[in-house]
Amino acid sequence: MNAIKATIKGFWNLLVGLQTTAKHLPRRAVTLQYPDERWTMPERSRGVVVLLSDPETGELNCNACLVCVKQCPVNAIYVDQAKDPETDKRYPAEFRIDNTICCFCGICEEVCNFDAIKLTGKYEFAVFNKEELIYDKARLQEIGRDVKYEPKKKKKTEKPAPKSGSPAETEPGTEISNRHNSEEAQS
Amino acid sequence: MIDTERQNLRDEEFLINMGPQHPSTHGVLRLMLKMEGEFIRGITPHVGYLHRSIEKIAENRTYNQFTPFTDRIDYCASMPSNLAWATAVEKLAGIEVPERAEYIRVIMVELNRIASHLIWLGTMSLDLGAVTPFLYAFREREWILDLFEMTCGQRLTYHYIRIGGVSRDIPPEFEKSCRAFIKDFRTRVDDYEAILTENPIFLGRTRGIGILPLGLAKDLGASGPTIRGSNYPWDIRRAEPYSVYNKFDFEIPTGKNGDVWDRYIVRIREFRQSCRIIEQALDGLPEGDMIRAKMPAVLRPPAGEVFSRIEAPRGEMGYYIVSNGDKKPYRVKIRTASYGNLQTLAPMSLGWKIADLVAIFGSIDVILPEVDR
Amino acid sequence: MFELDGLLSGLYKIISDWFISHDIPVVWLDLLVMLFAAAAVIAALLLTALFLVWWERKISAHIQDRLGPMRTGPHGVLQTIADAIKLLQKEDIVPDAADKKVYFWAPVVAFVAAFLAYIVMPFGKGLIARDLNIGIVYIVAITSFTVISLLMAGWASNNKYALLGGMRSAAQIVSYEVPLTISLLGSVMLAGSLSMVDIVEAQGPYFWRWYWLPQILGFGIYFVSATAEANRTPFDLPEAEQELVAGFNIEYSGMKFAMFFLAEFINAFTISAVATTLFLGGWQPPLPGLAFVPSWIWFLAKTLFLVFVLMWFRWTYPRLRVDQLMDFAWKFLLPLAFVNLVLTGLGVYFFN
Repeated sequence: MNAIKATIKGFWNLLVGLQTTAKHLPRRAVTLQYPDERWTMPERSRGVVVLLSDPETGELNCNACLVCVKQCPVNAIYVDQAKDPETDKRYPAEFRIDNTICCFCGICEEVCNFDAIKLTGKYEFAVFNKEELIYDKARLQEIGRDVKYEPKKKKKTEKPAPKSGSPAETEPGTEISNRHNSEEAQS
Repeated sequence: MIDTERQNLRDEEFLINMGPQHPSTHGVLRLMLKMEGEFIRGITPHVGYLHRSIEKIAENRTYNQFTPFTDRIDYCASMPSNLAWATAVEKLAGIEVPERAEYIRVIMVELNRIASHLIWLGTMSLDLGAVTPFLYAFREREWILDLFEMTCGQRLTYHYIRIGGVSRDIPPEFEKSCRAFIKDFRTRVDDYEAILTENPIFLGRTRGIGILPLGLAKDLGASGPTIRGSNYPWDIRRAEPYSVYNKFDFEIPTGKNGDVWDRYIVRIREFRQSCRIIEQALDGLPEGDMIRAKMPAVLRPPAGEVFSRIEAPRGEMGYYIVSNGDKKPYRVKIRTASYGNLQTLAPMSLGWKIADLVAIFGSIDVILPEVDR
Repeated sequence: MFELDGLLSGLYKIISDWFISHDIPVVWLDLLVMLFAAAAVIAALLLTALFLVWWERKISAHIQDRLGPMRTGPHGVLQTIADAIKLLQKEDIVPDAADKKVYFWAPVVAFVAAFLAYIVMPFGKGLIARDLNIGIVYIVAITSFTVISLLMAGWASNNKYALLGGMRSAAQIVSYEVPLTISLLGSVMLAGSLSMVDIVEAQGPYFWRWYWLPQILGFGIYFVSATAEANRTPFDLPEAEQELVAGFNIEYSGMKFAMFFLAEFINAFTISAVATTLFLGGWQPPLPGLAFVPSWIWFLAKTLFLVFVLMWFRWTYPRLRVDQLMDFAWKFLLPLAFVNLVLTGLGVYFFN
């Protein structure tokens, strides 16, 4: 008797299973047909790193303080400092980000006090050659031209109050390692 | 005619290598199986194919810089991994986390628990032959990942739960979407149960298979749903409450016999319990905008050591940190759930067939990056 | 209007008149007719297999809330052709220590065996290649052919996993043939004949008269056994990739693999066609007033519906383990099939 009840119960459950899957047949599929349909990346997306420029002057905001270089957990950034002899402003002579190492954690954006570097929602940067994934200053500035950003309002070097969202600032003296040599970073 | 005696043919036991690349080992795990016909007489797991020296890397990074690495220890449950690290360092350095941040942490961790269990459900039913729940589980996951993406910008390695709180506040659209998700998800869990739980084929593949005795589980260090399936209500959220879990009302599901079906049903019930917790957390979310404690610029915890553990989706995840007062830890040891759970695979599978091995392995929910770190 | 029956008999008359007027012996006419029938069946089946592969992908996709192939042709209709071209241009790898002759002939046997069953399949009113009076027995005999091809493939690959997989598949198919055959006998008893055309005509035109109603148990047993015969989920453990023993066709690549693959789809169509003929009235219309629709459309519709049910099963249920599969055949289906046989016999005795 138990066996017959178990059989009927099992058979009924098999039918319930069929019904559950059949429910999905008339429904709309959830597939997004890339590349004809694309996902709008949310505002906070952490994708490719870009260098931001001042909207009026078109120059890079970066003043080569090297904080992002030292805070990057995977040493993906390489910066050469230089000083403009006329205005006595520091600027980066060379700024390289190795996208084969970058883990898109967002620490560089968080520690920057000058709105110089940002993670955008761009994700279509696949290439056939790995060397093309190392972005130099010109490329980083170029892909950052159309990126809108909210200035952090503190352009001076005063200590910014910890805003909800950003960690406390870090001392420029913090170092990960002495490695600023980008050849090793690219291997 | 072959003279078996003279040629010493052993025709009973042979070794099969379930290689590092195999559809059913969830990650790069190598299993040497000693087989007698169809039956398993011994298993030797070979791990280490995914070893990335994360613990050694920790000795060369500051505490805040190490947080992105914790994401990758268990990338299916990245929020709890972040949380384990944050809780350990906060315990070590005596940092108090604002309450709003604690509630947000709970919501994120429970959402990630659902997401991780969805991966488990998909892959286990895929191993057993039912392909459709895999696709359904991943469709649910997409909603959770969208919630995470709108909050922290990433879909897998979130780097959201930081030392001292969380990195950014939840956006205004989060709550509505999250509540809608919970409401929809409850009906989906009913769907999964309709396809699998009482299905006679599924029962035939999982009932009574791979029984894990409680004593053995405790000896080998199993935790999480693996040990809860053996009728032992051990959950760190209740045993050593952390964060604000003592404010929420939820049950600890357990199984009765410790077989594959019990471990399956424990996780299915955990889906529903997580939904309860998320709803309570959303209801009780405190106002304010303090979501990260004020911390010194460079965190230098006092010299000492701490061990702190949390309930990750797979079991206990614990961090043992030794600090000598410097800005980088002296030693970090990560105790992951899958390491202990994987050890139960060998004794549990003896005497069963290969098809059962696949079911048993699916029910333990091992993820290899956790094992190898 | 689209009744091919009239068209074909008209054509036959024209050709036979031409043959008679030119004094050619009848044997050439018969040979021509047979070649034509064979060619028609092969062409129809290849097109069906092409369609079925696409359909399976679309059905599985929509069950899983996704879209399936969309880019090769509108809604992916040319996907199967793309797959066929891909398989054609793959390297044909023959393992060094394999038994070359057997390795070569195994996919051929599988492919040919799949087609042979269609000689007696009534596609519509008057559309049958050859109405053998042992119709259903012939089909059951042909389905045993696939066992040979599996064993050949498993053995010739010189791979212990392929051999194990082949053995398991063979055991499965042989075991499920017994309840399959016995469940078919119910319909045969009700129709009083083994010929496929007679069975269809005995069922009559309306759906309440078809044999699925009095033979509901037999229909169920037949369908389950046939799913196992065709190696489809939930009975496809011998060819599942998640297991170590990956199946008899592990060493095959390129066109040879394509032959096994197509043979599997054609088998699925065969078992549905047989079920349609024996239990769902073949080419008979289901309701009064629908007789204007050509008979071969009814046959196709019913068969495709059953193929859809097969796919539905595949994408819903997990797999049975091999020993559970055998238990199910011998300890559950076989006694039930006997019960069905006894009940049918009693029914025929008392109600006729």
